[in-house]
Amino acid sequence: MPDSGYPWPIETTRLDNGLRVVVSEDRTAPAVAVNLWYDVGSRHEPAGQSGFAHLFEHLMFEGSVNVAKTEHMKLIQGAGGSLNATTNPDRTNYFETVPAEHLELALWLEADRMGGLVPALTQETLDNQRDVVKNERRQRYENVPYGDAWLRLLPMLYPPGHPYHHATIGSMADLNAADLATFQAFHQTYYAPNNAVLTVVGDAPAAEVFALADKYFGALPARADIPPAPDGRTVTPTGQPVRETVTADVPAPRVYVAHRTYPFGSPGYDVATVLATVLGSGRGSRLYQRLADGERIAQPDLVGAYGVDLAHAPAPLIATATARPGVTAERLAEGLAEVVDELATVPVTAAELDRAKALLSTSWWRQMATVDGRADTLGRYATQFGDPATAGERLPALLAVTAEQIAEAAAEVLGAADRATLSYLPEETA
Amino acid sequence: MTLIAARPGPGTARPYRFPAVVRRTVAGGQVVAAHLPGQNLAVALLLLDAGAGREPVGKEGVGGVLAKALEEGTAQRDATTYALAVEGLGTELVTGLDWDSFQVSVQVPVDRLTAAVELLAEAVRTPRLDPADVRRVRDDEATALRMDWANPGPRADAALRADLFGVENRWGRPMYGDPDSVAGLDVDDVTVFHSEWFIRPGTLVVAGDLDRIDLDALGAAAFAGTGGGPVERGGPIEVPLREQRRIILVDRPGSVQSTLRLGHPAPHRAHPDHVPMTLAGTVLGGAFTSRLNHLIREVRGYTYGIRGEFGTSRRFGRFMVSSGVQTAVTAPALVEAVGEITRTQVGGVTEDELAVARSWRAGQLSVELQSPRSIASALTTLVVHDLPDDYHARLRADLLAADVEQVSAAAAAHLHPEALTLVVEGDAAVIRDELTAAGLAPLADPTS
Repeated sequence: MPDSGYPWPIETTRLDNGLRVVVSEDRTAPAVAVNLWYDVGSRHEPAGQSGFAHLFEHLMFEGSVNVAKTEHMKLIQGAGGSLNATTNPDRTNYFETVPAEHLELALWLEADRMGGLVPALTQETLDNQRDVVKNERRQRYENVPYGDAWLRLLPMLYPPGHPYHHATIGSMADLNAADLATFQAFHQTYYAPNNAVLTVVGDAPAAEVFALADKYFGALPARADIPPAPDGRTVTPTGQPVRETVTADVPAPRVYVAHRTYPFGSPGYDVATVLATVLGSGRGSRLYQRLADGERIAQPDLVGAYGVDLAHAPAPLIATATARPGVTAERLAEGLAEVVDELATVPVTAAELDRAKALLSTSWWRQMATVDGRADTLGRYATQFGDPATAGERLPALLAVTAEQIAEAAAEVLGAADRATLSYLPEETA
Repeated sequence: MTLIAARPGPGTARPYRFPAVVRRTVAGGQVVAAHLPGQNLAVALLLLDAGAGREPVGKEGVGGVLAKALEEGTAQRDATTYALAVEGLGTELVTGLDWDSFQVSVQVPVDRLTAAVELLAEAVRTPRLDPADVRRVRDDEATALRMDWANPGPRADAALRADLFGVENRWGRPMYGDPDSVAGLDVDDVTVFHSEWFIRPGTLVVAGDLDRIDLDALGAAAFAGTGGGPVERGGPIEVPLREQRRIILVDRPGSVQSTLRLGHPAPHRAHPDHVPMTLAGTVLGGAFTSRLNHLIREVRGYTYGIRGEFGTSRRFGRFMVSSGVQTAVTAPALVEAVGEITRTQVGGVTEDELAVARSWRAGQLSVELQSPRSIASALTTLVVHDLPDDYHARLRADLLAADVEQVSAAAAAHLHPEALTLVVEGDAAVIRDELTAAGLAPLADPTS
């Protein structure tokens, strides 16, 4: 294996208007990935505007000055490409992978919606996409058992006013109240070239991409005063565990145990990543071995732990288990807490550590196996840490984590006093 | 104006190339591999003729239980030791099945591939299958299905499948079985299914940098101790269309959305109309830009998304539309969806729409075939459907050559809006009267 997690060339430039351009050429396949990270997410939303960053992402597909409504999708798919966009608390990303001969089309489309969305934005479009997003909320959060767990966990972990207190999907009330002027202002505020990173990976030389980027994006004006999101880096622990129990139409008791750890990108988060893998990834993990196999109180397919890789505040680490028939939520919560507690007291063995690192290595290379996976990674590191080449440091850093560091991190951030526990109980047993 | 108004045209396309395919017979089994130079990751996938179509009627889900039981220890080591060995290489044992095949695979950095395949073979060929473990796995699988069936979708899927294909047939029952069928399995069902289908050599599919992979060693590991030849797979099954459209209502009290599954039987995978049929399905519902998604999502705002496609396996196929729509608009969404299916069947497709559909399907053959996992999946298609090494290049040419007449003819021949079964899983008390009043079709008793 290479020493770096990113053994491909990376070239960067910055246009006069502040747009950062990252290129990583790889001519293996005749495909090219175009990816834009805008440094705006739901953490920027003020009270009363929850869900706006994500609803705005939808509006970006609905036409701009030179692109008719729904034409963006049609042009990319008509070029043979795949495309999508996502919004999370930290950022919004837009991406398409196209056969390499359509690179210029993709750049033209992205430039048009970066620089020319507002004149094309209509009340009709807003109303339509508001309905679509409300259906997305119903489908993903309201109409499925446990679907609202994430919506409940965030306010348990982050206090009111914290940028991660509310979920990206937003509330129905705020979505209903969204007006056109707010979205016009949202675009003018955040969708500026100096608030974005354009990454192109695949069958395209850097010099060509830089020239095309300048051609299509170069004349878009920078914005001088982009307001930052509220600072959430410091979350003062209350010293009291938080518990919430929900009785709902769910098929079995389920428990989530959540903690704030460290921001993504920090050394602490690397430790938390390995720790989460030791704790809850795979059949060899502690949670599986103890709760699914050993005590047999958890359903084997539904036990696990993972970090949520947010960069602007101590990021969540979540462990979860669902009860086998006859097992109570209380028993399950005790079991989960025990296994989490032991991370500080029962040293991680060499075999556990090797297993976790092997799984993380495969996971890293899987992300690197496609041009789109690489583009999103480089865009992230350029946006959040100022240098795409730092992406290559992540895997070596994960592989350098020690058992001692895991025990220290567990003692520091996984204490029972800092724990949020969310339990679901089926209605009939309530 | 700071924007450039003129839309750029395409540059010069590089020729399409699917990775070089290598086929080899090793130790009584077949190895089919694709060369991905420079890839750090490699995938090996053992393909067995042990899909859901091989499960006896009444034993639905036995393949899924066996899949889980494979990891409960082998002749050589217990479950925990096995898990640590596999995961210590950086992979999990990934199992899956469809109607035509059972698949078990590993994905690892290329230098660990032989060790991973040895472990894969150990679980597949020599699982311990201790009766107490098998019973526990069965109970866990039944519970897992119960969990899954608490979500919207599985019950609607089952109702549609039963109505299309008949519950007396294996292919009229859920592919993974249901909570009751799995709960009713016994240890012998599992061990017999293993001895019948998991000892035959099968095919080992490999995707990775073949300069760093010893295919003979992989084949020797995968096929050691196997025996028995291929078994006749059966021809296409004739499935009659319904004479009249019908609605099946699956009650989900309090649901804020209605889950829609609309479908009818369609040709099997080897049908000569496969390409034009796929394109007709793409224009109607197979892409974000399709007619259904445009109208129901982008114009009406009834849903987060709606898809419609022909789905095909070796012996049968079907056309199906699926969506989740807000409860209050269930009836108008159904009316509009049936309207678009009818319009496509009657009027065919336009050149403008087809241009997008054919370019998209063709382009996906390069854009979506990058990772070892996706290439392995493409190789699996070659094996399961007896296709040649240059299949993907030929498919690409066929897609690009399909014209409006061919695709419209396929839409006319293979869409049957009057024979649709419309399954609606939603709050019956709220939507029943509205569905009846919509006049689309009579409400059927799902058991008839």
